[in-house]
Amino acid sequence: MVKSQRKWNIAFSAFMGMLFLTLMQVNLKIALIFVLGTGLGFTLQKSRFCFVSAFRDPMITGITEITRAVILLIGLSILGFGVVYQISEWTHLSLSLNIFPLGFSTIAGGVLFGVGMVLAGGCVSGVLMRIGEGFGMQMVALVGLLIGVLAGKSSLAFWRGTFGEWPGIFIPAFLGWIPTIIFELLLLGGLWKLAYWWQNKHLGE
Amino acid sequence: MVKYQLEIWGEMCPIPLIKAQRKLKTMENGDVLVMETEHSCTSQGIVIWAKKKKYGIEETEVANGIWHLELTKTHA
Repeated sequence: MVKSQRKWNIAFSAFMGMLFLTLMQVNLKIALIFVLGTGLGFTLQKSRFCFVSAFRDPMITGITEITRAVILLIGLSILGFGVVYQISEWTHLSLSLNIFPLGFSTIAGGVLFGVGMVLAGGCVSGVLMRIGEGFGMQMVALVGLLIGVLAGKSSLAFWRGTFGEWPGIFIPAFLGWIPTIIFELLLLGGLWKLAYWWQNKHLGE
Repeated sequence: MVKYQLEIWGEMCPIPLIKAQRKLKTMENGDVLVMETEHSCTSQGIVIWAKKKKYGIEETEVANGIWHLELTKTHA
C-alpha cells in the first residue's frame, strides 16, 4: 500500500465498521449480507479473477488455467449446494431458489449480456468492482446495468412465456442425491481433463 | 536488444493481449515490450499468458491501480 493511501484505508475501514454496527441495529440479516458482499468484493478485487477469460482464453491463446478454476468453482458449488439442501431438509427451512429451466430466452439473454459486457468493459461484478477502484466510465455502465436489471426482472414472465422453455429436470429426483453428485463431479472431471488437453495441444508441451 | 512501447492504456480485454501477440511477431529474440495498463485483469491476463508461453515477464504496480509490464521475447 502506498503511504498516502494509509489514512484513507483507516478512515474507510472505520466507516465500514460503523455501517455494519448500524445495520446490525436495523436487521441482522441485512448486516450479514453486507459482510458477505464486502468479503466477496474484496476477494474479487484482490484475486483479479475474470470469469470471461475462462471462455475467451481457450479460443484466443489456448490457455485454460482460468477455465479449470471455474470448473473447480462449479464443483465446489455443487457440493456446497448439496450440503445446504440437506440442512434445509433436516431443519425444515424452506429455500427460495432462483432456478429456471433452460429456454431460448436464456440464450438470447446470454448474447445480449455478452454484447453489453464488451461495451461496458466488465460483467456485473466487474463493473461494481471497478467503481470501487475509481473508474468513471463504469459509473455510467452501472446506470445502464440497473436499467437492464430492473427491465429484465419486471418482464421475465413475458420472455419465459413467449419463447417457451424446456421442461426442467431435477436429476436428484431420478438418481438420488449421492449418485447425482458423483455423476456431476465425474462430468466436471472430464471437462477438466479436456481443458488440460486443449492447453497442452496449443502450447505444444 | 531493442525496447518497444505498446499503447494499451484504457483498452478493453482482450484487445491488449491480441495487440501484444501481433507486436511480438515483428520483434527479434531478446527484444523487450513495455506496456502500461490501469486494468488489473488485463495485466493479470498478460502475465498468465506470458508465463505459459515461457516468455520473460515482469509486473510492477508502479502506483495504485497502474501496472507496468516488461515482456522479454526469449524464444520465437
